[in-house]
Amino acid sequence: MHGRKFSMFRHSASAALLAAASLGLVLTGSGCAKNPEAQFAWRDSTELLIPDARKTVQKTMHESFGTPHDLVAWARMPVQYGGLAPAAAATDDAAAGDAAPVDNGPFGHQLQLGRQVYMKNCLHCHGVAGDGAGPTARYLNPKPRDYRLGLFKFTSTLAPERITRDDLHRVVKYGIPGTYMPSFLLLDKPGTGDVNTKAVIEYVRWLAMRGEMEKRIDDELVDYSLASIDDEIAKAKNSYESAKASGEKADPPPSRSALTRKAAGDFKTYLAEDYADAVDGTADFIAENWIRADEEASLIVPKVARVTDNAASRERGRLLYMSDKTKCYTCHGHTGKGNGPATEDFWPKPGSTEKYANRGLHDVWGNKLSPRNLRQGQYRGGRRPVDVFRRIYAGIKTTPMPAFGGTVLKDEDIWDVVNYVMSLPYEPEVPSAGPAKAPRMAATEARQ
Amino acid sequence: MSTLTPSIEHAGGHDDHGPGHHAEPHSLSLLMKLPTFSRDHKVIGLQFLITTLLMMMVGGALALGVRWQLAFPWQRMPIIGDTIFAAHGGQITPEMYTMLVTMHASVMIFLVIIPILAGAFGNFLIPLQIGADDMAFPTLNMLSYWFMLPAIVCFAFALGLAPEWLSGVGGMNAGNAQGWTSYPLLSALPEAAPGSQMAQTWWLIGLTLIGVSSMMGSVNYLTTIINMRAPGMTLFRMPLTIWSMFITAILQAFALPVLTAAGFMLLADRVMGTCFFIPSGIIVNNAAPTVGGGQPLLWQHLFWFYSHPAVYIMLLPAMGMVSDMLACMSRKPVFGYKPMVYSLAAIAGLGFIVWGHHMFTSGMNPALGMTFMVSTMMIALPSAIKTFNWIGTMWGGRLQFNAVMLNCIAFVSLFIIGGLSGIFMAAVPVDIYIHDTYFIVAHFHYVLFGATLFGVFGAIQFWFPKMFGRMMNDTLGQIHFVLTFIGFNCTFFPMHLLGVAGFPRRYADPYHFPYLEHLLPLNQFITGAAILMGVAQILLLYNFFSSMFIGKKCGRNPWNANGLEWTTPSPPGHGNFDIPPICYHGPYEYSSPLSKDKDYLPQTEYVPLEQRRAVQAKPH
Amino acid sequence: MGKFWAVFFMVFAVACVALCAVAPYCGWWFPGDGKAHSTLGQKIDDLFYLILVIVTVTFIGTQIAIGYVLWRGATHNPNEKALFSHGSHTLEVVWTIVPSGVLLFIALYQMDVWAHYRIKTYFPQKMEPVAEVTARQFEWRIRYPARGKKLMPTPQPDDIYTVNDIHVPTGHPVAISLRTEDVQHSFFVPMLRVKQDAVPGLVIPVWWEMTDTGTFEVTCAELCGWGHYKMKAQVVAQSEDDFEAWKTTTAAEQFYDGVPRSATEVAQRPQGE
Repeated sequence: MHGRKFSMFRHSASAALLAAASLGLVLTGSGCAKNPEAQFAWRDSTELLIPDARKTVQKTMHESFGTPHDLVAWARMPVQYGGLAPAAAATDDAAAGDAAPVDNGPFGHQLQLGRQVYMKNCLHCHGVAGDGAGPTARYLNPKPRDYRLGLFKFTSTLAPERITRDDLHRVVKYGIPGTYMPSFLLLDKPGTGDVNTKAVIEYVRWLAMRGEMEKRIDDELVDYSLASIDDEIAKAKNSYESAKASGEKADPPPSRSALTRKAAGDFKTYLAEDYADAVDGTADFIAENWIRADEEASLIVPKVARVTDNAASRERGRLLYMSDKTKCYTCHGHTGKGNGPATEDFWPKPGSTEKYANRGLHDVWGNKLSPRNLRQGQYRGGRRPVDVFRRIYAGIKTTPMPAFGGTVLKDEDIWDVVNYVMSLPYEPEVPSAGPAKAPRMAATEARQ
Repeated sequence: MSTLTPSIEHAGGHDDHGPGHHAEPHSLSLLMKLPTFSRDHKVIGLQFLITTLLMMMVGGALALGVRWQLAFPWQRMPIIGDTIFAAHGGQITPEMYTMLVTMHASVMIFLVIIPILAGAFGNFLIPLQIGADDMAFPTLNMLSYWFMLPAIVCFAFALGLAPEWLSGVGGMNAGNAQGWTSYPLLSALPEAAPGSQMAQTWWLIGLTLIGVSSMMGSVNYLTTIINMRAPGMTLFRMPLTIWSMFITAILQAFALPVLTAAGFMLLADRVMGTCFFIPSGIIVNNAAPTVGGGQPLLWQHLFWFYSHPAVYIMLLPAMGMVSDMLACMSRKPVFGYKPMVYSLAAIAGLGFIVWGHHMFTSGMNPALGMTFMVSTMMIALPSAIKTFNWIGTMWGGRLQFNAVMLNCIAFVSLFIIGGLSGIFMAAVPVDIYIHDTYFIVAHFHYVLFGATLFGVFGAIQFWFPKMFGRMMNDTLGQIHFVLTFIGFNCTFFPMHLLGVAGFPRRYADPYHFPYLEHLLPLNQFITGAAILMGVAQILLLYNFFSSMFIGKKCGRNPWNANGLEWTTPSPPGHGNFDIPPICYHGPYEYSSPLSKDKDYLPQTEYVPLEQRRAVQAKPH
Repeated sequence: MGKFWAVFFMVFAVACVALCAVAPYCGWWFPGDGKAHSTLGQKIDDLFYLILVIVTVTFIGTQIAIGYVLWRGATHNPNEKALFSHGSHTLEVVWTIVPSGVLLFIALYQMDVWAHYRIKTYFPQKMEPVAEVTARQFEWRIRYPARGKKLMPTPQPDDIYTVNDIHVPTGHPVAISLRTEDVQHSFFVPMLRVKQDAVPGLVIPVWWEMTDTGTFEVTCAELCGWGHYKMKAQVVAQSEDDFEAWKTTTAAEQFYDGVPRSATEVAQRPQGE
């Protein structure tokens, strides 16, 4: 009996210890341990800078934008951070009398809210830094947008301009059909004034500005990157080899460490003399672009109302579609199925003569892209006639879809193309008619 | 008294091999053979038991991941979030959440509950309880265990643990994510979900291996039970455990081929380009449109044709074992033995024609719905009869309130809740509302955890002495029981209410729906209770493993039970019975007036005719 | 100790009943105001409460029986053998027939509701679908026929499109055609008690009749991928006139060509800030 008691005690004691230990584990797991913090991933081009330059860029970025947990509302960026900036609050008392409701929240609250909404809904595809590389992204086709070039596809603005808040609002509200960007129509409860949507739009704009800032500074510092040092070594080596082959005397190629030291030295000078200006200039450039996007003048407004959608208009549209002026058919295909001959070609990478390894069109991020199948009735940028008009007028930014407005096509012509394109889903597929023939050209001329 | 009857008091003395304990096998003799390719049914049973207990911890950990997300959505998740999603502040992704849900169910169903009942206890108990030396096909039996290990590996790959060269996409975020029901097209089109790429293929392969393992077991059980019973062990003298294992094996043998076939069809759809389940013209993730003319509903029919009987595969053996334990711990015969057997058979029979109740909202022919509704209502009947009989068994008993008994009472008590909540679902119109809400989650956890696992907890402690010749610690067992019982009810009872509130299943973040916002605190409470319940299982594991070494030594029959297994040494040696058993009674002759000096009457104990006549003459 | 356990199991049973009793007051009950807003939903609720009563009575009965049995077992004289009984035929017959009667009653009682819900011959006569609801990963896209037209199986040039926003008229039964563009989804409107899977390759009619106007949330109830939880939509029930008016304005917005026509229209242009 005694033995039994003893063993029981042993049991209970060690079990209690075990239970306590595991409870402790759970507790430390849940609260006491240090939270890993979300981080803005750096661009590759930043990571490739020589250490001094990289640290400088990272410091600038930290100072101007902060981290996901410690946001910095940089007054130079045209973002509605929410609340009044401390400085502005003191000077702009007069503005308070305006009709616009006064935003009494603490400064930066809109950005904070935007971050919250973003972290909950957008992060896992678009990534912490808005680089379109969240954990889910690799499974998606098309890839989620990388905001960091400041470029968006579906805008209502002229070809060179950035996206407007309204455009972002539409995308968030209605989603992009045919992609994994879902509609967040009910992100806000009715009657709450779309606070979440507005906040997340500001946050996305802010991320885009942040990303563009980093990229542009990196571009300024391209001379101080490991890649350029590699290039230099390779070049020196080549000339040395060829010189040796031809029997000439030549300096041996410099060592990597020497070049890195030299770059570091150069960078020190650059930092002292030009860096601040470069950052300033970049910030101004970005801010101006984004401010201009929301100005009235950037908006595409058709000069004429939609041309009546009738058979004649569609036919004119069809002829334009098939014409060499627009060459729509080369990508979108003779029947509009998005399978034009251009999708079978090898295309060069932008800014170089090197070609992509796979056939077909690519966007500026290098993702393969298929021209829209116009017979699906699926309009990623919106199905209002004005949306399609704007797609044709200003093209689709970042993609090979060019801008026709103002130069190639008159607004009336664009409406004809719109009418033709939007009728395609409801028309029986006719065998490819080929480029327009002469007698039919007459119809177009007759209208003009 | 017959000399054929060894009992604990006399085990040593009656042993032909001489006095003392030399003949009693070493208490760890089964354990030591664990890593071998043993063909001994007891070793195989133990292999299954220990594997499934460990898998239970894995499945539980996955469940805690699910609970964490539901209590603290998009906040840092310990361990998983910290390791995989550190750059995102430790917040998991929705596909990770779906993976947790899927793999929790898959692990618990296919690697824990089915193998722990049929694999562990079926293997261990069937030959012992019917008085056989071993299974009919020992090699097949051995293979049935060793087919489970590759299945575990496949499931680990499905979890996203496959190396990148094997899976195409690596990383935990690529775990399979289409729910354990694997409804096409989500499961049939690799583009449809991140985890539905290679991970889903691994999952299907794992499932097939589990199926092969179960099938080998079933064939074995059927043959063994039919052919290898000891002399005198008539069908109606078999313990209810054996009856339930027998009926389970029939269910398994008939239902499983359907699932295996369906699994292969799905696999073919995924890797060979067939279209059994894929209709034409579907574009997912901008891949090329599908070409086939298949029917996704076909999968649901095939899947549930297995998986509804599987619910009973996951329940019936526990019912049988609980009947045994309740009778022993109440010191009373099972109330209504034959009705118990018939209701087992009825559940199994009806179990084949109720699968459609999983598909009331699926758009199948509505007239079929009516049929399934009536058969589903009717299947509640044998369950009710069994419940009443269990209560009847305890009625007027001399109850032994030890950990085994407590778990059995919990089984009955919780099974009642699980059964009653099932009636809501059987009523088709109500099911339309609660289908795929937490009401369902509550219901099947009450049945699968509340009933089956509590039965298993009882059974582990009841038959542990037979496995190791030592007792498990009862105090620890009772603490484990109380913690688990409280944790369990606090976790799953509120889920009924969540279900009524329309809280959908498998939502990574339900709270962005305004009508569910206010349910967050309740979910946090549930998560707390779930953590308590999870931690309590460490007690069970500790008690189980430590008692092998430091548990109180016991003889052959520590519970004074009647079954044949208690006449063997603990643990039984190779060939089980040192004295070939002859069966004279049913298994539940507790407190029988036939045995004067004790309140049990072992099945092997012969009672002379005149003594029986004398007792029968007296009214009792 | 035995008595403690008898009480322990009774406390658990009482706690279960008590929790269910207080749940409606804590908001842990039917969503919204707790009432179903469709005629069929009300029938479903009635049936739910009927079953709830039957189940509660059964639960209390069996738990009392368990408690009694445990208490008796705990107080059993340890020196006395337990009652030796192999069962009772009469009792078995009783507790077979009574539950089967109750179960059959439930089964037959609810057939009618189900028939109205799903069986075509019971559908309200002359019901044209108001819209086609297409589920896709991870949103609901809705197509309405133009004002005064019938919904065609294929898209028409003058169809009206919305996303995650389903408008229906009140006052008469309404039907939608439910389909999916990719994987299986399930159209679930908790406050209407309407649920129907959207199965790839099938177009499934779903009907209900609103009892009042209002906005009701739509969820997806069948796992459809990582964004399953994101499929948030709403059913907006409006009077017939409001519904038609809404259709008109939505059509006007959808065919907007971007040219401002009047000062009021300029003012109405959506503003992002």
